[in-house]
Amino acid sequence: MADITEIGHRIKSIRDTHQITKAMELISVAKMRKAVRKQSFSSVYLDSVRYTLKDIMRHSTDIRHKYIERRADRRAAYIVIAGDKGLAGAFNNNILNLAWEHMQQRPVHYIVTIGQMARAYFEARRQQVDLEFTHAVASPTLHDARGITRDILDLYDRNLMDEVYIVFTRMHSTAEHEPVMVKLLPIAEEDIEVDLSTDYSGQIDYDPSPREVLNILVPQYLVGMIYSALIHSAACEHAARMMAMSNANKNAEKMLDALDLEYNRLRQSAITTELLDLSSGRFFSDNNLHQKVKHRHGKSR
Amino acid sequence: MHTFFLEIITPEKTFFRGEVQSINIPAVGGACTVMAGHQPIVFATEPGTIRITADGKTREAFMSEGFIEVRPDETIAFAQAVEWPEDINERRARDAKERAEEQLRRNRSAAEYRINRYALQRAFARLRVKHHNDLTGD
Repeated sequence: MADITEIGHRIKSIRDTHQITKAMELISVAKMRKAVRKQSFSSVYLDSVRYTLKDIMRHSTDIRHKYIERRADRRAAYIVIAGDKGLAGAFNNNILNLAWEHMQQRPVHYIVTIGQMARAYFEARRQQVDLEFTHAVASPTLHDARGITRDILDLYDRNLMDEVYIVFTRMHSTAEHEPVMVKLLPIAEEDIEVDLSTDYSGQIDYDPSPREVLNILVPQYLVGMIYSALIHSAACEHAARMMAMSNANKNAEKMLDALDLEYNRLRQSAITTELLDLSSGRFFSDNNLHQKVKHRHGKSR
Repeated sequence: MHTFFLEIITPEKTFFRGEVQSINIPAVGGACTVMAGHQPIVFATEPGTIRITADGKTREAFMSEGFIEVRPDETIAFAQAVEWPEDINERRARDAKERAEEQLRRNRSAAEYRINRYALQRAFARLRVKHHNDLTGD
């Protein structure tokens, strides 16, 4: 078995790592709390916007609008939201694999990445990244969401893509995350996941016209969706990192326990050996002395 | 006077929640006032001033482009940004106005023109709300 200094070194290095993971866990907890708070505000807004959008689509027949009409679904664009950093368990892999699998079914696809890890993943697979947004992951702002929406709508208006998907991790609770893919454009009633309780059945009026209202509503909906996706993703990343770090902490503690035990055992056995050496040496010299004394006594007698 | 329940929501916060007597909004087709018992309608709005009257008092606020849904049970307004005069950063609005004017002078496409026009409209509306309240000493 390893000698005592080697174990001492290992204990020290594990203790250092433990300190880092402990700090990272605390940071993740704080950041996650912040993200979750933001998320609760944005979800109120998003739910209402979705509700209204669905309401309009259900209550008014034959609205024709460029963001609602289906195009032949050949060219898909994916907005993939992952983290900027690793060390967050399977968070990045889950979401990126989901996007990757879906992409294989589409002959032509564009990729918009948000977050360093997403870009690195596609680059490693020799998949060209068409557009990337950085700085939007760590602390998402409405400004980021607006910029992304504007660029996407611009590309969509230029008829470069038929469908737009957003791939992100949705947070159900701190421990339960689910990578999801949501179709953003064209907007279809069945893609809007919100329960519509039709408590009134009358036709709603639109001022000045359903078209004008949708012109405003659709960008609002997209900004809301993208903002909420960014926030969900950020909250999930921090939650995943928190879990990963708390696992790392537990493992480090377990390893430290085992190593401490081993260290103490070795130290004890070293002491025992030393004691044994001492006492046997003493015993030997005592015996010798005794015999010498005896011998002397015998002589003198 | 009859009241109705009004909610004003932005992605970052719920700006207003409560019973009001009326709300004046800068709709795309022109300013209008919604009062209790209005028929169900959805208004698209331009960046501008909203006036909320509750308990006989009227307050102004800035609202960016958005929409207002009047339902039988409640009225909900959605916008990216809604701000009370005291929360408006005047310096920022002024900078934004100059930037938007500069951009408008050399805009390249129709889409860009639209974006810049809205930006300018937002800046103007913010400044108007801020100054209007300064004048009345509210």
